[in-house]
Amino acid sequence: MFKFLLKRLALTIPTFIALMFITFTMIRLVPGDPIEVRRGERGIDPARLELLRHEMGLDQPVWKQFLDYVNHILHGDFGVSLVSKTPITQEFAKLFPATLELTLCAMILATILGVAAGVFAASRRGSIYDQALMGAALTGYSMPIFWWGLMLILLMSNTLGLTPVSGRVDLIKYFYPPVTGFALFDSLWSGQKGAFWDAVRHLILPSIVLATVPLAVIARMTRSSMLEVLEEDYVRTARAKGLSPRRVIGIHALRNALIPVVTVIGLQVGTLLAGAVLTEYIFSWPGIGHWLIESIGRRDYPALQGGIMLIASIVIVVNVLIDMLYGLINPRIRHGN
Amino acid sequence: MPITHKGFSMPPSPAGGNAAHGSITKGKQMSGTFKTLLAATAMMSVMASGAWAKTLVYCSEGSPENFTPSINTTGTSLDAARPVYNRLVQFTPGTTDPAPALAESYTVSDDGLTITFKLRAGVKWHTGVNGFTPTRDLTAEDVIWSFERMSKPDHPYAKVSAGAYDYFNDMGMPDLLASVEKGADDLTVVMKLKEPNAPIIANLAMDFATIQSAEYAKFLMDKGTPEQFDQIPVGTGSFSFVDYQKDAVIRYKAFDGWAGKPKVDDLVFAITPDPTARYAKLKANECQIMIAPNPADLPDMKANADVTVMEQAGLNIGYLSMNTLKPPFDKVEVRQAVAMAIDKASILKEVYQGAGQNAKNPIPPTMWSYDDSTVDYAYDPAKAKEMLAAAGVTSLETDLWYMPVQRPYNPNGKRMAEMMQADLAKVGINAKLVSYEWGEYRKRLQAGEHMMGLLGWTGDNGDPDNFFFLAGCDKDGKPAGQNLSKWCDAKFNEDMMKARTLTDKAERTKLYVEMQKIHHDNVAWMDIAHSTVFEPMRKSVSGYAVSPLGAHEFQNVDVAE
Repeated sequence: MFKFLLKRLALTIPTFIALMFITFTMIRLVPGDPIEVRRGERGIDPARLELLRHEMGLDQPVWKQFLDYVNHILHGDFGVSLVSKTPITQEFAKLFPATLELTLCAMILATILGVAAGVFAASRRGSIYDQALMGAALTGYSMPIFWWGLMLILLMSNTLGLTPVSGRVDLIKYFYPPVTGFALFDSLWSGQKGAFWDAVRHLILPSIVLATVPLAVIARMTRSSMLEVLEEDYVRTARAKGLSPRRVIGIHALRNALIPVVTVIGLQVGTLLAGAVLTEYIFSWPGIGHWLIESIGRRDYPALQGGIMLIASIVIVVNVLIDMLYGLINPRIRHGN
Repeated sequence: MPITHKGFSMPPSPAGGNAAHGSITKGKQMSGTFKTLLAATAMMSVMASGAWAKTLVYCSEGSPENFTPSINTTGTSLDAARPVYNRLVQFTPGTTDPAPALAESYTVSDDGLTITFKLRAGVKWHTGVNGFTPTRDLTAEDVIWSFERMSKPDHPYAKVSAGAYDYFNDMGMPDLLASVEKGADDLTVVMKLKEPNAPIIANLAMDFATIQSAEYAKFLMDKGTPEQFDQIPVGTGSFSFVDYQKDAVIRYKAFDGWAGKPKVDDLVFAITPDPTARYAKLKANECQIMIAPNPADLPDMKANADVTVMEQAGLNIGYLSMNTLKPPFDKVEVRQAVAMAIDKASILKEVYQGAGQNAKNPIPPTMWSYDDSTVDYAYDPAKAKEMLAAAGVTSLETDLWYMPVQRPYNPNGKRMAEMMQADLAKVGINAKLVSYEWGEYRKRLQAGEHMMGLLGWTGDNGDPDNFFFLAGCDKDGKPAGQNLSKWCDAKFNEDMMKARTLTDKAERTKLYVEMQKIHHDNVAWMDIAHSTVFEPMRKSVSGYAVSPLGAHEFQNVDVAE
């Protein structure tokens, strides 16, 4: 197991190097630099432009900028935002809890509903329920997040008045400081009556929107994995022993069917973080996605480079963890073949 | 059923009860968080005592870069700082008229080189923000400190937040300002100029000329945290800063200062980047005023019984520049023919969709000195063709540049260019459409690479000079970068320079009227349209004035109970 983990960690090194190179290059391929993009119709005096570019280090050759960037990253320095002049890690640390909270809620929602729907559909293979669920999953998978979010706002908030439109807190009723950055925790900590329920209400719509695609993927994956497992000899044996269908599916089949599903859930972390970019924008959710969109608009190179690197690191770490979990639930890996 | 606009009053500033969560360093962040906890605890005790407060929520579009206007250029950042601060003179809300603010009066010397400001006595600074308690009222020292931060590289705060002071430079202040000094007493400021300049008063009403506290700056420098100066603002404005959470919310509370107490107790900026989500929030009464509606939502907004849409002609112009350095656009007849060949009425209908008005002068009609007697070039393709033939142009290959982004004065550059292309084809001009990335586009236009190009302008300060300079040339008769047509007219230039030195508005008006005639007759650029600015708000809001300069101000705004 230890050897497996070591091998897995070693594999992340080239991934990180490639990531550094790709983020650095891609951002610079977008036309317009951070100074010019701030200017309106007035334009800028060439001498002043040069001065400002010099102050920001943008007049250096690109290869030198890249080496500086790599050198700083190796020293744990992700740079300072060109816009807010705040260290990237500090901005990230302040905004990340909001993204994590939303992503975790969406992940829990997608996993519980996705596995349940997949198992249900598999156990009634070919029935109208199966077809309806898989049809819904396909629709969910193809749903454009932006449109879906706005539709839910119009329906749930404006027409039915069931949920707030956007944000994390009712700004008129509540004001509590971000102790941990997790609204659910901070609202409880504040002790203000109704604050926790208010935070939950604000999480509902963005979580549904963000969970939609992973939910569809997990449901389809669980169904196909279940169908495969249900054909196995040990399931037939369990049935032959006279076990109840619930026990056969819930204990014998599900545990084995979940092995590939766990991997898919791990891969969905990337999808969720990517989806969070749009979801946060629509729902005014003060997280990393929202911050990255603004940084693209402002060509805030350090924020983009650092932000993407940090997010990518999280995806890589989660995937390593999932691999370990995979080892735990799959004895063949755990015992080194 | 509208929800009542009541909220819990922010606490009366417990020591250090304010923090900008987007900015402070880690160690300080802990203390910042602790202080905010104190603030929240104090607030909760206010809540427990049942003290309700009137809250106004404004749906803004983004996070400010910081809270110091002199180092910002974006409307988002300037809007966020404006509730906290004041200038020596300020635009009367809803107008472009500079009126006394921190200076209760000013006098300009006969030679126009010295302006003496008499400051208002007893102007209080916000107390308790970021642990700062002012020991004195506003004095000349604060005014001098604020201007010298922008003008003197050795000022202790010159490099704090890597300040670039763009507006100060762009408005030509370094070439204009000789010194800012203390006058006969603590409440007198003497500003010396290198040359007479009438528009400077309008410049001083702009946000970059905000007056900040020299004492607060020293307090933070002594603490070793000067960067907090631009993140946790202390001012003299109608609202004092309470809290900022990046990408989420900015909170302010009413301050009973020199301008009197505002009508609401708490002001909240709910940062909502998507215009459709902003409108959804307005409908749900989660905010009462919103910025920048989606044009497609306007009909629904106007039909909504709970919403009012205020509108005003924007202080802007969208125009088509023809590069006079590239034949045949050096001939005035050709430029006039182009002006007659383009069907502006269709453009107004299709591109602006009713949210714009025809432009016949380079300045908008709400601006003083506007010459309404100008007769616009009528749409007449037959005559245009004749004029082109007379000028020896029977067929012409040209380019037509359009901006790749939506701008306040031009909602759809590409569509406009396509319509112009079709109109020009009818008179034998074959225009090839060209566009670049926005920064690149401006740069190349300013370098004069185009033959025909679309651009526009949004006014900074309501002074006509702030529009006419776009068609101006320097003293040697060379067109400045922003003069996209590269058109130089000696008389126009002379009038422009002269108008800057005059303080008499009537005399300046006379010159500007003459300049509008020259501009029109020469088609220095082809005027297209002035777009309309829309501000949607709940019907419960009163006292709001739409600023022609695009500012959002709340000191006179009230919300019904």
